[in-house]
Amino acid sequence: MPDIVLEYASEIRLAIGQTFVMVGISILAAVLVGLPLGTWLYLSRKGQLLSNRFVFSSLNLLVNTIRSFPFLLLVVFLIPFTRIIIGTAIGTAAATVPLAVIAIAHYSRLVEQSLLEVPKGVIEAAVSMGASTREVVVKFLFVEARSGLVLGLTTSIVSFISYSTIMGVVGGGGIGDFAVRYGYQQFQTELMLYMILIMVILVQLIQFAGTTVARLLDKR
Amino acid sequence: MILLQNVSKAFSGQPVIQSVALSIEQGEIHGIIGASGAGKSTLLRLMNLLERPDTGRVEFDGMDLTNLPNRQLRQTRQNIGMIFQDFNLVGNKTVEQNIGVSLELARVKKCEQADRIQECLRFVGLESFARKYPSELSGGQKQRVAIARALANRPRVLLCDEPTSSLDPSTTSEILRVLQDINQTLGVTIVLVSHEMQVIQSICNRVTIMADGQIETTIATEPAGITEITSDAGWFLTQLTERRDPHA
Repeated sequence: MPDIVLEYASEIRLAIGQTFVMVGISILAAVLVGLPLGTWLYLSRKGQLLSNRFVFSSLNLLVNTIRSFPFLLLVVFLIPFTRIIIGTAIGTAAATVPLAVIAIAHYSRLVEQSLLEVPKGVIEAAVSMGASTREVVVKFLFVEARSGLVLGLTTSIVSFISYSTIMGVVGGGGIGDFAVRYGYQQFQTELMLYMILIMVILVQLIQFAGTTVARLLDKR
Repeated sequence: MILLQNVSKAFSGQPVIQSVALSIEQGEIHGIIGASGAGKSTLLRLMNLLERPDTGRVEFDGMDLTNLPNRQLRQTRQNIGMIFQDFNLVGNKTVEQNIGVSLELARVKKCEQADRIQECLRFVGLESFARKYPSELSGGQKQRVAIARALANRPRVLLCDEPTSSLDPSTTSEILRVLQDINQTLGVTIVLVSHEMQVIQSICNRVTIMADGQIETTIATEPAGITEITSDAGWFLTQLTERRDPHA
């Protein structure tokens, strides 16, 4: 371990922990809210089971709007909302709010796209067997789209890591914030490079895991 | 058994089915033939309300399906099996899971499911394929699995939408034989949509001819029997071996 990294070991450990909390909450939000939202987006499309032009246009507009914010501005824009939910707009907990919002919008779009890949005939067969909409989703759509859903989540997680690096603006901490404050601003370029290295390794691991799981799940 | 009364259907203003009346009788194999775009697949899909008619009634066993609440419609659909041109199996489920899901939907008890799956697989001659995925099967085998899946809930009618159109000639006769068997040994009424005259001729008792969204006529026919069609590749292979034979 390089001396400079050892010197800041406890700060780095704290930063990594903060990154994990922020990314972890983002993943949770993506799966718990983004997955259902993306499914609803798909189902409300023209010609689908819950086809409804008004619902689809509204959800579509909402997701697009959130995703069109430059993320830094979304963080600032959401400060009043964050205060209502967390009680403060500063710190790691507060940072998870805008991260969760962007995570939901990001993943729901990828979910919609994965579900669109499922052949329409499979859904038709399910309906002809007497499946309810809920059963079509759980027993057919998610099963057939599962590797796409995993790959989509992998892509999302990599983006969440990237988003989490700017949470220093609201005192969210994390590896990115540490790299900027201790590495860049205190002219310790070496320290910054080590932090980037950590991020690179992290992303490689996540991508490898995601691709492997998706491949194992795909029997088509 | 199935009764269509004055049924019409249009897609974005374009009429596809125009005031059609048709009765499917219990126990028959009823063929529906017509050029592509004649509306024969739509007609079939109206019978289990995969397509909802704009006007008219669709009756199954005297019940008007168009007025049925959702839950009852879903239960009724379990009495109406359906198979498709592209098989529509779930690629990420094994053969037995594909059949099992249809039993789950009908709330068949877990302990009974395995027996029912075996029974269906035996009927279509695929007992040893239970753990395979559809991607490991040939087209004919996939259609057999789809048939097994459609039969799992012991339906009274089987709707077949161009079931042999993506299969080669010899596999086509195999599948037709299975369908005939289902009709004769299980007493399942069959509605068979196809654009191939040979397919319709071979097993149907009655044939409805469609053109431009209307029924031209329905005629009673004597099933011509499933003719053995050897695949062209087989013929070429015999030619090759004869030529290669050093003793010839």
